[in-house]
Amino acid sequence: KLLARLEGRTSLKDLEPYLFAEEGFPVHGDVIEFHGPEGAGKTEMLYHLVARCILPKSGGGLEVGVMFIDTDYHFDMLRLVTILEHRLAQSTEEMIKQCLGRLFLVNCSSSTQLLLTLYSLENMFCTHPSLCLLVLDSISAFYWIDRSNGGESLNLQEMNLKKCAEILEKLLREYHLTLFATTQTIMQKSTNSAEHSFSPKPLHETDADYRPYLCKSWQQMVTHRIFFSKQSNSGNSKAFSVISCDIKKKHVVKRSFTIAECGVQF
Amino acid sequence: VSAVVDFVSSDLEDVAQKCSLSYKALVAVRRVLLAQFSAFPANGADLYEELKSSTAILSTGIPSLDKLLDSGLYTGEVMEIMGAPGSGKTQVCLSIAASACLGLKQHVLFLDSTGGFTASRLHQMLQAETEDEEEQASSLRSRVQVARVFNIYEMLGALQELRDSLSQQVMSCTGPLKVVLIDSVSAVIYPLLGGKQSEGLALMMQLARELKMLAREFSLAVVVTNQVTRDSGAGPLKPALGRSWSFVPSTRLLLESKEVAWEKGGTQRVASLAKSPRQPTGIQVELDIGNGDVQDRSPATTT
Repeated sequence: KLLARLEGRTSLKDLEPYLFAEEGFPVHGDVIEFHGPEGAGKTEMLYHLVARCILPKSGGGLEVGVMFIDTDYHFDMLRLVTILEHRLAQSTEEMIKQCLGRLFLVNCSSSTQLLLTLYSLENMFCTHPSLCLLVLDSISAFYWIDRSNGGESLNLQEMNLKKCAEILEKLLREYHLTLFATTQTIMQKSTNSAEHSFSPKPLHETDADYRPYLCKSWQQMVTHRIFFSKQSNSGNSKAFSVISCDIKKKHVVKRSFTIAECGVQF
Repeated sequence: VSAVVDFVSSDLEDVAQKCSLSYKALVAVRRVLLAQFSAFPANGADLYEELKSSTAILSTGIPSLDKLLDSGLYTGEVMEIMGAPGSGKTQVCLSIAASACLGLKQHVLFLDSTGGFTASRLHQMLQAETEDEEEQASSLRSRVQVARVFNIYEMLGALQELRDSLSQQVMSCTGPLKVVLIDSVSAVIYPLLGGKQSEGLALMMQLARELKMLAREFSLAVVVTNQVTRDSGAGPLKPALGRSWSFVPSTRLLLESKEVAWEKGGTQRVASLAKSPRQPTGIQVELDIGNGDVQDRSPATTT
C-alpha cells in the first residue's frame, strides 16, 4: 500500500515553466508562496495552474487531481469553467465535468478548522493517489483574527498556524504533494529610513513591499517565493509581473503576463 | 475546541498506553471528532452542478451598469461600491433595491448605517419604474426590509439574525431573499481602526468573513458601500479601510462625479470597474442621476 502511494504520484515538473527560475520545478515537497497585493493576479494564476492540472492530457493538461483549500470564500467556479472552456478544443459538458471531477474544494472558516481539516484530509490523500497538488488560498486569511484571539502572547497567536505548517509538511512528505499557498500583502512597508539601513539583503525593487508577518515555521517551509505586482507604467491595465525567487539557490527571475478571457498568458 | 485539537494531533498509540481505552476506540473517537469539526471537501463537478442551478444574475436597474458588470450582480459574491460622499452610492443601492423587489420580485435586506435610506426615496424610484400605485406600495411593504445599524456589533447582530432566519428557512416574512445592501460599511468600521490594537482589524475581518459566507452559502448578492482615500495628494483613488479589506470584495465599482462643461448645472456620474473576477478593469460608463432617480443616459436628453 505504501508503494502504491509513492508510485501513483505524477510529477508536476512541467506545470508552468515560466513561474520558476530553473527547469525541473516544482518537485514534490516544494512549497511555493504567492505573495502580492490585491488585484495582482494571484488567484488567476492559481486558476491557470489548476486548469493545467485537471485538463486531460489530450487537452494539454497533466490529468492529475487538485485539492483546493479556500479560506476566504474567494473561489469562483464559473471563472474556472470559463478558462477550461477556452482551453479545451471541444468543450462539452461531459468533458468539463470530467475535469472538475479531479478537483476537490474545501472551505475553512477559522484557523482551528483549517488545522482539523488538514488532519482529516490525510484520508483523502491516502485514498486518491491522483491528488498531486495542494492549493491553499490563502494562508494569511486568519491573521488578524488569530492575533486578536491570542491576546498578548505571540506564541498563542501563532500557535494554530504553526501547527498547520507542521502538518502540511508531514502531508507533503508522506504523500509526495506540492503546495501552492497565497499570502496577502497586508502590512505597510515601513517608510522609516533607519529601517532601510538595516535591511538584510537588497533584493529587487518590488521586494521592498514584502514584510514577512506569518510565523517562522511557515517562513522556513517555503522553497519558492513568487511576488506578484501590477505593472503600472503601461496604459494596459491587464499587464502583471511576477518575480520568482528560489529560496535555497537564491535564483531570481522576473516575468510578465497578461490576463485574458482564457486566463493567464505569458 | 483546543482540547479537540490536542486530542486529534496526539499520537494515539501513546494515549492508548496511558489511559485505559483501547487504540481502536480512540481511533473511532478521533474520526468522529474530525467528522464533526473539520470541513468536508466537495468534488468540483458536484459543486459546479449546484452553482449552475443556484447562481442568479440580478439587474441593478441601470442598464449601463449592468453591462459594466457583465449582465448584473452575481449571487454568491460581495460587490463594493466606492466613492466620495455625494457620488451616488446610496442612489445606486436604492436602484438595486427597487429593481430587485419590483422587477424580479425578490426580497431585499437593507442595512443602513448612515441614515441615508428613507422610504420616500425608494418610493420615488419605484414610481419611476411602474405606474401601478398598488404594486409600489405592496412591494415596499412586503419585500424590502430595512434595519438601521449604527455600530459594528449591531451590524453583526443583524447579520446573525439574517443567518438564523435563512437557516431555518422561514420563508414567510423574508421570502426568497436575494440581495443584501449595506450602506455603508466604512461608517461602522472606521471607529474600529487606527491605533495599534488588532481587535479592530479582527472585528473587521470577522464582518468580512460573515458577509462572504452568507453570500456563498445562501446564494445572495451582497453589496457594500465604502469611502475612498488617496495615498498622496495626487495619487489614484483607492478604497478606504485599508489593505486587508481590499481583498474582501470580488467586484469593485468606483463612482465619481465629473464636471461637464456643456450641460447646464451638469455633473455627470461616471462608474468605472476597479476590480472584477471576470471583466477587464478600467471600463467606464456614464450614469445619469437627477431628481433622485438613476437612469441610463439616453442620447435624446442631451442638448
